[in-house]
Amino acid sequence: MATLDLHRISKSFGTAKVLHDIDLAIKDKEFVVFVGPSGCGKSTLLRIIAGLEEASSGKVVIDGADVSDAHPVDRGISMVFQSYALYPHLTVFENIAFPLRVQKLAEPDLKQRVMRAAEILQLTDKLKLKPGQLSGGQRQRVAIGRSIVRNPKVFLFDEPLSNLDAALRGDMRVELSQLHRELDATMVYVTHDQVEAMTMADRIVVLNGGRVEQFGTPMELYHHPATKFVAGFIGQPNMNLIPATVLGTDGGLTVEIDGGHRMTLPVDSSAASAGDKVEVGIRPEDVDLGDGGLSISVRVLERLGGVSITYGTIGNGETRFCASLPGDAAVREGEPLHLSVAPSDCHVFDASGRVLRRTAAPALVA
Amino acid sequence: MMDRYTKLQMVGIYIGIFLFLSFMLLPFVEMFVTSLRPLEHLRTTPYQFWSDKFSFDAYRQMWETVPLLGRYILNSIFIASMVTACTMLLVVPAAYAYARLDFPFKDTSLGLILAINMFSGAVLLIPLYRVLKALGLLNTYWAMIVPGIAFLIPTGIWLLRSYLEKIPRELEEAAYVDGASRMYTLRRVVLPLALPGLLVVGTATFIGAYAQQFLFAITFNQNRELQPLPAGLQEFVGRQQVEWNQMMAAALTGVLPVMLIFFFLQKYLVAGLTAGAVKE
Ligand SMILES: Nc1ncnc2c1ncn2[C@@H]1O[C@H](COP(=O)(O)OP(=O)(O)OP(=O)(O)O)[C@@H](O)[C@H]1O
Ligand SMILES: [Mg+2]
Repeated sequence: MATLDLHRISKSFGTAKVLHDIDLAIKDKEFVVFVGPSGCGKSTLLRIIAGLEEASSGKVVIDGADVSDAHPVDRGISMVFQSYALYPHLTVFENIAFPLRVQKLAEPDLKQRVMRAAEILQLTDKLKLKPGQLSGGQRQRVAIGRSIVRNPKVFLFDEPLSNLDAALRGDMRVELSQLHRELDATMVYVTHDQVEAMTMADRIVVLNGGRVEQFGTPMELYHHPATKFVAGFIGQPNMNLIPATVLGTDGGLTVEIDGGHRMTLPVDSSAASAGDKVEVGIRPEDVDLGDGGLSISVRVLERLGGVSITYGTIGNGETRFCASLPGDAAVREGEPLHLSVAPSDCHVFDASGRVLRRTAAPALVA
Repeated sequence: MMDRYTKLQMVGIYIGIFLFLSFMLLPFVEMFVTSLRPLEHLRTTPYQFWSDKFSFDAYRQMWETVPLLGRYILNSIFIASMVTACTMLLVVPAAYAYARLDFPFKDTSLGLILAINMFSGAVLLIPLYRVLKALGLLNTYWAMIVPGIAFLIPTGIWLLRSYLEKIPRELEEAAYVDGASRMYTLRRVVLPLALPGLLVVGTATFIGAYAQQFLFAITFNQNRELQPLPAGLQEFVGRQQVEWNQMMAAALTGVLPVMLIFFFLQKYLVAGLTAGAVKE
């Protein structure tokens, strides 16, 4: 059992406020990923949970107990650092055993726990080596090994895979998900890689400028982004955002997008009124070939095999538009392209960047 | 990598190294040659590079001319070792504090400590004399050890601090998260990683201590038995003549232990001096 609650956490460095009233409730055994652009405060928030940094105000609660002033060990957390933070002068065995040596655990017990961690992480034949003799992926596993021997309640990871090459990152992603299932522990994972976030998380926290933009399951974030920021952050290639003007609010929202095309979209229009400036969000993968009113001039075409990504502009040529089309779509660079999109696939954001709730979209996944 | 330099450049580099080393080592060669010469040779002209009268006699006679010579050499090593040990004991925690901890007046106090280096020992001899006298330390080993420590601490802190700063902070944070105390982390993580740096600072301190003994010995100590080698060499200056050959022999014998230490530490010293230059 390990729940993790953050109550109105704020943090300032000098006069710079980097975290603003963060409230989060993380459930037992949940794998939660913090994502956001560089400098948004992910690491700072994680370090506050770890006890490496003190919050300027607010409370960290683990399993119902306020641990805001507790030592990391008493919080029951362990942390894996981006740089692995392995001790270069100690062997793999001693690196993994370090937390247990600190606890002065008896030798047979210590040995047994290190061996078990080494087994889980397939490091048994590497125990006598020094970190310098290991590959990046193996070092990462040693760092994880050191964090699991103590049987902590909550695991914290700060961009653990960012130093690995793409192929290895894919493997480690799978291994970490597996580890999460095996250990049955609560995990908090920081990354700025949205693929890691989407594939590993039970729920994702999107941070922006020290604020929580949205907290939800990956598919919730994908289908129901709460803000323009989340919409742009989740999904690859990024969602297209087209300026539009509201024409009417009866039976959905009728808009005219840049370039003159009119659509009636199934969204909650109660707060909108005619004449409002909004933005219509269309995911590149939601468009189809065929004249549905979207005319694009194609600038660049990338054929990836299974799909072809086109980059171009829509309307008067100032709004960029990206579309993901079948691999052999009959498209040429420099030629006009006609596309259609189902109204129920469109997102609408008001002038402040907040979404107008979609009424015909996939239901929220529980 | 191997042929980064052309042949011509290599020749130039070797000539440069040769000139540099000659400049540094010729005095030692001359010392050695002098120690082999019979005394009357020293005043003959023309200068003779070699003659069959050369012998190691001076190395035997010096112990008779200055009966306490052995004692002086041991004193030198003892004083330099004590200074080094005490300095390191004080420098390690101080350098760590300056590298890692936050405390009021951190930069100011470091600046003040370094400012000591702007005074050479000579300027402070008289005040130091009074302090040592008040403490009753004159004419003891401490008279030569305590001021030695004081003058070597600033450079020691400065050198070691920059070395400790290069040890990734995350290593200490990882140890902290795993429950290790500061002292435990210092002992098990920081100091082992700083070993090359400690050797560099230790050696620099030892050399410094060896070199500065003379001044403190002749001002703060009149007890012959406690005199270090540089002061003891004075005794080769006799009433009628100076026993140059024996003095050089004694000086060489005195620096020999230090040279040997250097020889064995060389590998670590080079590693220490270039640490951080290459990514792990
Ligand atoms: N010790 C510190 N002193 C002053 N400012 C800090 C400190 N640590 C972090 N900051 C600032 O706080 C903000 C958030 O930093 P943080 O490291 O949490 O970002 P991040 O989201 O982890 O970014 P990245 O993805 O680049 O790791 C940044 O603007 C950073 O400059
Ligand atoms: Mg970070």
